Amino acid sequence: MVGRSIPQIIWGRLRKDRVAMVCLVILAAYYTIAIFGPFVAGFVGIDPYKFDSSAISDLGGKPVLPNGGISWQHPLGVEWGTGRDIFAQLLFGLRISLVISTCATFLTVVFGVFFGIVAGYTGGKTDTILGRFMDLILAFPFLLIVMALSGVLTDRLTALGVPQGNASRILYLILVMSVFGWPYLARIVRGQVLSLREREFVEAALSMGAGRRRILFTEILPNLWAPILVYATLTLPSYIGFEAVLSFLGVGVLPPDVTFGSMLAQSVTYFNVVPLYLFIPGTVLVILVVSFNLLGDALRDALDPKAVH
Amino acid sequence: MILLLFLLTVAVFLLFSILPGDPARLTCGKSCTPDIIEANRHRLGLDKPPLEQYEAFIGGIFFGREFSEDSPQPVICNAPCLGYSYNRHAQVLGLIVNAFPVTFWLATGAFILWITTGISLGILAALTHGRWPDRLVMTLSLIGYSLPAFFIGLVLMFFVIIKWRWLPFPSYVSPFDNLGQFLQTMLLPWIVLAVLYTAFYMRLTRNQVLETFGEDYVRTARAKGLPERTVVVKHALRAGLAPIVTAAGLDLAGLLGGAIISENIFSLPGLGSLSLNAVTDSDLPLLAGITLCTATFIIVANLVVDLLYAVIDPRVRLGS
Amino acid sequence: MASMGTRRVLTAGMAAAMLVTACGGATTTPSPAAPSASTGAPSSAPAASTSASTSTAPSASTAASTPPTGGTLYLLTNAQQFDQVDPQRAYTGEDMAFFNGTIYRSLEQFTFSSDFSTAAKLTPDLATDTGTATDGGKTWAFTLRDGATFQDGSPVTCADVKYGISRTFATDVINQGPTYAIQYLDIPTDPKDGSSMYKGPYKGTGQDLYDKAVTCSPDNKTITFHLNQPLGDWNYATTLGMSPVPKAADTGETYGQPGHLAVSSGPYMVDSYQTGNGGKMVLVRNPKWNASSDPYHHAYVDKWEVDFGLDPKVIDQRLIQSSGNDEFAMDYPAVQPENLSIVFKDASTPNDQFVGRALSGMDVYARYLWIDTTKIPNVKIRQAMAVALDRSAMRKNLGGDFYGDYADGLIKPTVGLDYAPTNLWTSLLGQPIPDNGDAAFAKTLIQQSGVAAPSLTYDFPNTPTNAKNAALVQSSLQAVGFTIKLNPIEPGKYYSVVFGAGAHEFGPAGWGADWPNASTVIPPLLTKKGGWDLSRVDDAAFNAKVAAALAETDRTKQSADWQALNVEAVQNMWIIPTFFGLTQRLAGDKVGGVYLWGPYSSWPYGDMYVKQ
Repeated sequence: MVGRSIPQIIWGRLRKDRVAMVCLVILAAYYTIAIFGPFVAGFVGIDPYKFDSSAISDLGGKPVLPNGGISWQHPLGVEWGTGRDIFAQLLFGLRISLVISTCATFLTVVFGVFFGIVAGYTGGKTDTILGRFMDLILAFPFLLIVMALSGVLTDRLTALGVPQGNASRILYLILVMSVFGWPYLARIVRGQVLSLREREFVEAALSMGAGRRRILFTEILPNLWAPILVYATLTLPSYIGFEAVLSFLGVGVLPPDVTFGSMLAQSVTYFNVVPLYLFIPGTVLVILVVSFNLLGDALRDALDPKAVH
Repeated sequence: MILLLFLLTVAVFLLFSILPGDPARLTCGKSCTPDIIEANRHRLGLDKPPLEQYEAFIGGIFFGREFSEDSPQPVICNAPCLGYSYNRHAQVLGLIVNAFPVTFWLATGAFILWITTGISLGILAALTHGRWPDRLVMTLSLIGYSLPAFFIGLVLMFFVIIKWRWLPFPSYVSPFDNLGQFLQTMLLPWIVLAVLYTAFYMRLTRNQVLETFGEDYVRTARAKGLPERTVVVKHALRAGLAPIVTAAGLDLAGLLGGAIISENIFSLPGLGSLSLNAVTDSDLPLLAGITLCTATFIIVANLVVDLLYAVIDPRVRLGS
Repeated sequence: MASMGTRRVLTAGMAAAMLVTACGGATTTPSPAAPSASTGAPSSAPAASTSASTSTAPSASTAASTPPTGGTLYLLTNAQQFDQVDPQRAYTGEDMAFFNGTIYRSLEQFTFSSDFSTAAKLTPDLATDTGTATDGGKTWAFTLRDGATFQDGSPVTCADVKYGISRTFATDVINQGPTYAIQYLDIPTDPKDGSSMYKGPYKGTGQDLYDKAVTCSPDNKTITFHLNQPLGDWNYATTLGMSPVPKAADTGETYGQPGHLAVSSGPYMVDSYQTGNGGKMVLVRNPKWNASSDPYHHAYVDKWEVDFGLDPKVIDQRLIQSSGNDEFAMDYPAVQPENLSIVFKDASTPNDQFVGRALSGMDVYARYLWIDTTKIPNVKIRQAMAVALDRSAMRKNLGGDFYGDYADGLIKPTVGLDYAPTNLWTSLLGQPIPDNGDAAFAKTLIQQSGVAAPSLTYDFPNTPTNAKNAALVQSSLQAVGFTIKLNPIEPGKYYSVVFGAGAHEFGPAGWGADWPNASTVIPPLLTKKGGWDLSRVDDAAFNAKVAAALAETDRTKQSADWQALNVEAVQNMWIIPTFFGLTQRLAGDKVGGVYLWGPYSSWPYGDMYVKQ
């Protein structure tokens, strides 16, 4: 019987979901801007690191123009004290935020799927040991551990030859979020593998003398990608929020580089003087996170049509 | 479980004593000289081999230990000794015990808040499935989910306290000393901490209840002509709530992350701000102590939840 | 050397250092420098100083009436705790001002006055006068007042003062405090490492040497210091870390910490001390304090409360609103930059509603960039760096007019007599240098240097403001051909890194004079044995001139020496002077005695009261 493949079926369902499609378009736009925006910006002469002394006053570094210095030259205003362009900062900040969250999600998925399959498929002792190990990692309060290790491990990374400063910090964030984030997915994958292992098609393959590796890659993995995709779509925005929280608490990416978190954290300082400064990066962030979350929901529904929604 | 706790001590020891390379370098504050570092290295026993250090660490937990044994004024740290913070000149356990009540009240209040609002709104949404209350709840949930908690906290702080002056500036007191001030101080921190979880529980409850509506035994109950109220409360909710209890137990244990944000914004003297300050000062012994305590708490909570789950949902038997 | 206590100054940039003591007017002769003056004739009589402090206070519109007593004053701080409460270890201006105004007595103190030059004069506190110098300034004697007691009622004797000072020598236990006793008391040093042969009261090594250098009269009333060189202003040094400590109560390293509360000799005593968010230090009246033995402390209020761990933004908002107990509160850190425009019209004038409770004035710190002269030996290259620097943009980033004025040297006008314009930015290098730098001139200097513009690394404490400043330094120097790498350092570790082998070519720093004499500025910053020589300057000819200036007993000639050395320092560009800082402070409506106290650029704690 020739039918549509599972991806085709899901895509078909997703296409009918208007909300999901809108989210998909928004996200595509975000990624496009993050990838190409800075190039274009450099072309047009927008530079997030360029100080503009003429845009700020000598009185406490306050923007000269009202509303945080919004003008033709600086469409979203300028940063207090430096006169750096907020629009440009958003463009570049988006890139850093997306790099961190996307890489961390990718690594989380890689670790989670790998260990989940190993635990679920091999079973026995390996499963028990991995299970304990996951319990152990899950016992650490996530935010605390990311914060607590930031100073120590960032130094370590620098000692290993990663350029000092934000390169080390970004790499640290990616690594630590994925290292402490994978067990959640691994548990899901393990459960799926356990049930798949008992299913007919795997048994059939086994009886036909298929090797372990072949079964893993051709029979089990293709059946896992749906829950993985949903998980990744919902994890990514949480990592974006996470990076923002860390920057807010002062353990994330540091100036002169900017991210959503550092922009929000900084704008908060000026909230009662220039409220707009908080709302601009805030809105951009919320749209991004909401889109991811809605898309994740839609995907889940599309994969599991029985589920109520 | 004992094994897990043992592994935990090893992991914490590795993370905070071995991984940093040279923890002694981080033991003194602003104006450090090599002399002070060397002195502290010796006092804290960091010049000993790792295994001996680990023994001392574990020994301290069970029997207590002494720092700077050979100095005229050794620091005596009674069991259970989690270490000594040289930045703060205090025993780690004492610092944690002092900060604990604040976080306890914060977590408890927020827990009550999110469980009540989350579950009741979730049930409301399930009962009005597809109509406007349902949509409203789901939209609220999405917003609560997507807004960073610190953003909500700061905006609340700005409007409620600074601009409109509805509440005084937060200043923590024990509820037994001044209940009014306690409530005024804690209201916003509770909200900030509860928002994310409320959003999550609204969805969870709604979906659980809707799912059980589809189950055979609920349909049977309906078919038997039982009143809708009985069906909803006795059958659908009871079974539907079991996973919620599980989640709630685990979330209560994992609250520290949220507490860090909430306590930081509202300057509450709890474990969250203690750990943030420890991070800023690179106070490794304190960080190790807090991590160890909270992780132990989470492990124990896991166990309790497993037991509770069996009580609530008779379909689950322990050991299965 | 203590680094700066308040977080704000660390973030505000040129973070750092030191203690304080400043003075204004050029008419002051801050210390009895000439031997003739030191035989008596204190620079300020106690009675005069008392009346001066009230009459010059801006709030004293009610003429000479005595301020009311009673009430509680609150200090709101973002700090988690005091860096040090120990009288021998506290070395942050604000902390010293607070403790010396409340719980500690000292032989000499600075005068309470809103006028910087009056405030820079000494008022005897524990001592009966401002000290008697003999032997050309090598021996100093102070007689203690009758009736001074500790909080347990036991009398403060010469032995207690002597014991307190001896603790400074136990550098393994009592660190981070002022070290003038070690530098100037006549105790031999170990030829191997230059440390004192006296190792402090805990080890007791060399105790006989100390007992010879500091002696008590048989009646235990007069303390005599024997110095290793003539010092016209040793009495000023006694304001720094030389308060009495009763030996029986000394717990060493933990002294003053929670659980080991410091013993008071002043009008207040520590009732409780808890650190961290929500922590408090409460000071109550010391029942054993005898007002007749202490003309210095006014002790108007009944109680002091220090609230720790508050968000600086919240502190500002509470003081701006000034309701409830916050009417009686004042800030411990300075006003946050974003709120300055709410409180102030411009850098010197508060908005109407804040008149009388908001202050803006010079702090004691001169900010500068140190340059490691061993790594950049070419003076033209160093000058090119200074010329290229966009100081105007840096100043805007740091707060503009509120942050301070452009500095022209290491000696700040608040040091008084020793300050004279160096003309660094107008003519010293042959042509005026604009605030935003002169790229063309910088390139010329590089050409004249005969070497290529080198690749440099800029060390800085990794705070948001400093990181932005670093970007400015980078872009303005790269514009003239330098290659600048940035090296952010954890803020708490900045000074230990840049003093160590990890230091690169240049970075920011700040320094305030310990008392109104450039002897507490030029020698520590620009000589190898001074202790704060970030620029690694070790110039034999310069060292000789510094030694001569230190030994100069004619104060007028001495200040001419310091002025010349200041010019020499900036001409050689061993440091790039950047800014002379300002500070802005805010108090609640009902706080009385609100003025900026010059010596520590702090609140005048011992002179404050609650308005009725």
